[in-house]
Amino acid sequence: MNPLATFNTLIASPAWPTLQLGLHGLFFLALLYLLKRLFDLRLVAAPAALPKSKSPLGAPLVLVILGLAFGAVLAYQASWQLMGMMRPNFIDFMQTYDRRQFNPAHRIQRGRIADWHGQVLAYSREAAGRVQRVYPYGAAFAHVVGYQDATFGATGLEGSANAYLNGSTPVDLRAWRDLGQQVLIQREPRGQDLVLTLDATLQRQAFAVLEGRAGAVVMLRPGDGAVRVLASAPAFDPNQIEASLFQPDDPQARLLNRALQGRYPPGSTFKLVVAAAALAAGATGPVQCDAEGYTTSARYPLIRDHDYYAARRRGTVWTGHGHLTLGRALAESCNVFFAKTGVQLGHRRFAQALQDFLFDQRIALHSSAYGSLMMLTGEAPRMTASDRYGLAQASIGQGRMLMTPAHLALITGAIANDGLAVRPRLVKKDQPEVLARMMPASDARRLQPMMRRVVTEGTARSINASGLAIAGKTGTAQNSDGPPHSWFVGYAPADRYDPKRTLAIAVLVEQGGYGSSVAAPLARDLLLQAQQLGLLP
Amino acid sequence: MNAQAAAPSHWQRLWQESWEARAPERHWLGLCAFAVSVGFLLIFGAQRSVEHLIEPRDLLPLALYLPSLVVVHLTLVTVRFRGDQLMVAVVALLSGLGILMHYRLGAFNADTLAEAARDYALYPVCMGVMVLTVLAGMRGRYRHLAAWPWLWALLSIGLLVVVVATGHRYRGAIYAAGLLTPSEFLKITVVCYLAAAIAARATALSAWRFGLLPPLRALLPLAAVWLLLCGLLLWQRDLGMFAILNLVLLLLLTLGTGRSGYLLFSAALAVGSTLLLLRFFSHGARRVEAWLNPFSDPTGASWQLLQGLSGMYSGGLWGRGFGAGNPEYIPIAASDFVYAVLGEELGFVGSLLVVVFFLVLFQRGFAIALRCRSSFARLLAAGLTAVLAVQSFLNLGGVTKLIPLTGITLPFISQGGSSLLASLIAVGLTLAISDGEPKRAAKSRPRRKKT
Repeated sequence: MNPLATFNTLIASPAWPTLQLGLHGLFFLALLYLLKRLFDLRLVAAPAALPKSKSPLGAPLVLVILGLAFGAVLAYQASWQLMGMMRPNFIDFMQTYDRRQFNPAHRIQRGRIADWHGQVLAYSREAAGRVQRVYPYGAAFAHVVGYQDATFGATGLEGSANAYLNGSTPVDLRAWRDLGQQVLIQREPRGQDLVLTLDATLQRQAFAVLEGRAGAVVMLRPGDGAVRVLASAPAFDPNQIEASLFQPDDPQARLLNRALQGRYPPGSTFKLVVAAAALAAGATGPVQCDAEGYTTSARYPLIRDHDYYAARRRGTVWTGHGHLTLGRALAESCNVFFAKTGVQLGHRRFAQALQDFLFDQRIALHSSAYGSLMMLTGEAPRMTASDRYGLAQASIGQGRMLMTPAHLALITGAIANDGLAVRPRLVKKDQPEVLARMMPASDARRLQPMMRRVVTEGTARSINASGLAIAGKTGTAQNSDGPPHSWFVGYAPADRYDPKRTLAIAVLVEQGGYGSSVAAPLARDLLLQAQQLGLLP
Repeated sequence: MNAQAAAPSHWQRLWQESWEARAPERHWLGLCAFAVSVGFLLIFGAQRSVEHLIEPRDLLPLALYLPSLVVVHLTLVTVRFRGDQLMVAVVALLSGLGILMHYRLGAFNADTLAEAARDYALYPVCMGVMVLTVLAGMRGRYRHLAAWPWLWALLSIGLLVVVVATGHRYRGAIYAAGLLTPSEFLKITVVCYLAAAIAARATALSAWRFGLLPPLRALLPLAAVWLLLCGLLLWQRDLGMFAILNLVLLLLLTLGTGRSGYLLFSAALAVGSTLLLLRFFSHGARRVEAWLNPFSDPTGASWQLLQGLSGMYSGGLWGRGFGAGNPEYIPIAASDFVYAVLGEELGFVGSLLVVVFFLVLFQRGFAIALRCRSSFARLLAAGLTAVLAVQSFLNLGGVTKLIPLTGITLPFISQGGSSLLASLIAVGLTLAISDGEPKRAAKSRPRRKKT
């Protein structure tokens, strides 16, 4: 019998895979046994012709140094070889470029992402030996949930919770067991699910009403920062990421998360900040507000009220507001009042207010060791101490004052929450955390009825609903690109405060026109929908 | 029964003695042969396909490996070699793994047997050279290597000049034509030079002024040779060899003089020169960049590194099995990145075992050095072992991304005849040292006669 031919039939037989596994083990055992025998016989086989070592410390020292150096190599190697899923970049690289069919990276069952009551927003599906990420609601969650694509990386929460979703940050016993099985018996890797604070129904409605326009909606619970809606439009389909999306000159800027990162002139919504500063300084009026307007120097154009221009368009003459107090000025959104008040407050108090309201910061909505989902806060123009006209412009949210929808939602929520700003959070198990006290509670309680007045008798009276007491502030922000941006910020209910059942909202429609006619009705509809869902009393 | 068996001759008795003394080596080599044979079976199983049946020719690498071990063992027994047995066994195992990897990576795949002859001949020849080195150096004959330090210095510089003059640029560094890399042999010649030179001037070199300043005059010739050597190495952009030789210089100066001050001065010098190098060598700076930010250019500078790591991740704890991995995705897997293939196919457990065998080898080498009384023998054994240890560390650290890639091979396992030959000569010299010290040195120290 030819042994070679026998061997050839053996390795072609169905028994070979089992036999191969056995031989693989036998190989390791043979090496281990050799090591054991090397140790057993090491002294017998030592060179007898050499004298004993004179330095008793020499040999152990050598062993320690060698052990440290090569131990470091092995430990670091293990961090790639066994714990590679701790490195999202590495997993992405393998999913993109690694052609090894059996690489576990191709079959990671990434955790699902769900809204606060379990509606699945993202899950993984295996097809043709590769896993694929599926987003059932398409573009509606494109910015906040983000996408995870082996070629284009991961953004949004998919990015900041990347390692968690890949299952490499075990938090409980079950996750540890999964991880252990993954390493020890090379079971298919499975990640952990992530539950968010978002509400899928509200988010989809918000995205639907923005459809075809550019804008953003942020809705959050002021008491604990739970974000219910974080919508940005136009968006993209995270199920089909393509290279054209990443062209830097995309006129629609579909990748931009306008809610967190889009900086716009806040217009009259900024008057809330000035009102808080005025309350703190006791500068609540009355102030004479003439129809002719106000300027700090004859060289600069007059700052006038909206009513002046409206009357001029109708061909009539407006007589002006006359003497206004803070509450009435806010309800009427009087530019002259706030320009004068801002100048009266002066640069120092104005800068203090910006600092109190957390301007020029980046706030993480969720962060891990592998990345963060950040919101930008407003950016105030740098002004010299002599620039009083700049101060007047900034006080009505114009000039070069810029804010993000998320920042305005945070401020509005803080006013509803008696002055305390809580870090907006997207992941349900993240603990609420106080960011800052934006204003004293007493001032906040004086500002709250003023905001309610905006809706009952002021610029937003068109949205005054019978079933829900909304408080808010409209904004119509002039910009150099065309029609003004339409803003509404507010909260509900305004008649009683229940930290569990209060929502603050910020709505921005890019170049949407008047705040009172575009953004405010959108906000009202969303708040009424939230009431129907039981999120509001 | 004949008369001879009843009354063994003097020579037979000596042979018998030696045969018994080297029983552990025989036992270990047998285990090595077994493990490597199992490895071959695994590779055969993975390579078998419809069009490729296992032929007698596939058994040839194994058929050359096993007799090589037998010949090495019998020769050492016959010449009554009294030196270390453990190093022989560990080297046999590591080089056996090397043959497995070469075979698995297609080294013996030339179309005709004649073309493959070079591959087949390599291992027996290299093992033969190791045994010849032992034969030449044993019984203290290695002391003649210390006779002319200048010869070694000239030889080292000559080797480098030859490489610079004839070599061509390949992968950013100069490799000599014919893919034989003479600079590999620098590891031996430079260590011989350092050991001889430092042993000869140990007293002068250890005379530090106020315990703070090194003796500059005594260091002058050494420094001159070293500057020339390093200059040529950098001209060649052989940063790996530059690192190895400097670390060995540092170790030997400290060991030879017992002055830890050398350690401090050279550490400062090393940091300085590294920073300078990174500034002025784009080749090195690129590697450091690829090391620090591997994902900034994953398909370019970091491709090889990341493919190696992907392979290891794919292998996991237990490995894909010998022959079942995909080393074809790692560029030049056979030489610098052989460890990544090992990690993929044998898993973390397999690479851990391999590293442990390396550690056993290095520990034994340094233990031999520490037991030598003569300064030259101690420095030579320590230097040769240190060269192998540093080389292994730079290779393993580079492949696992612990340190930047230096483009040097893994001793005994990487493909490359010069590397294997140089490593085995180094082991042969260490073995020769372990056979005992020169008689002359023994006479000068009668105290040692007691043993």
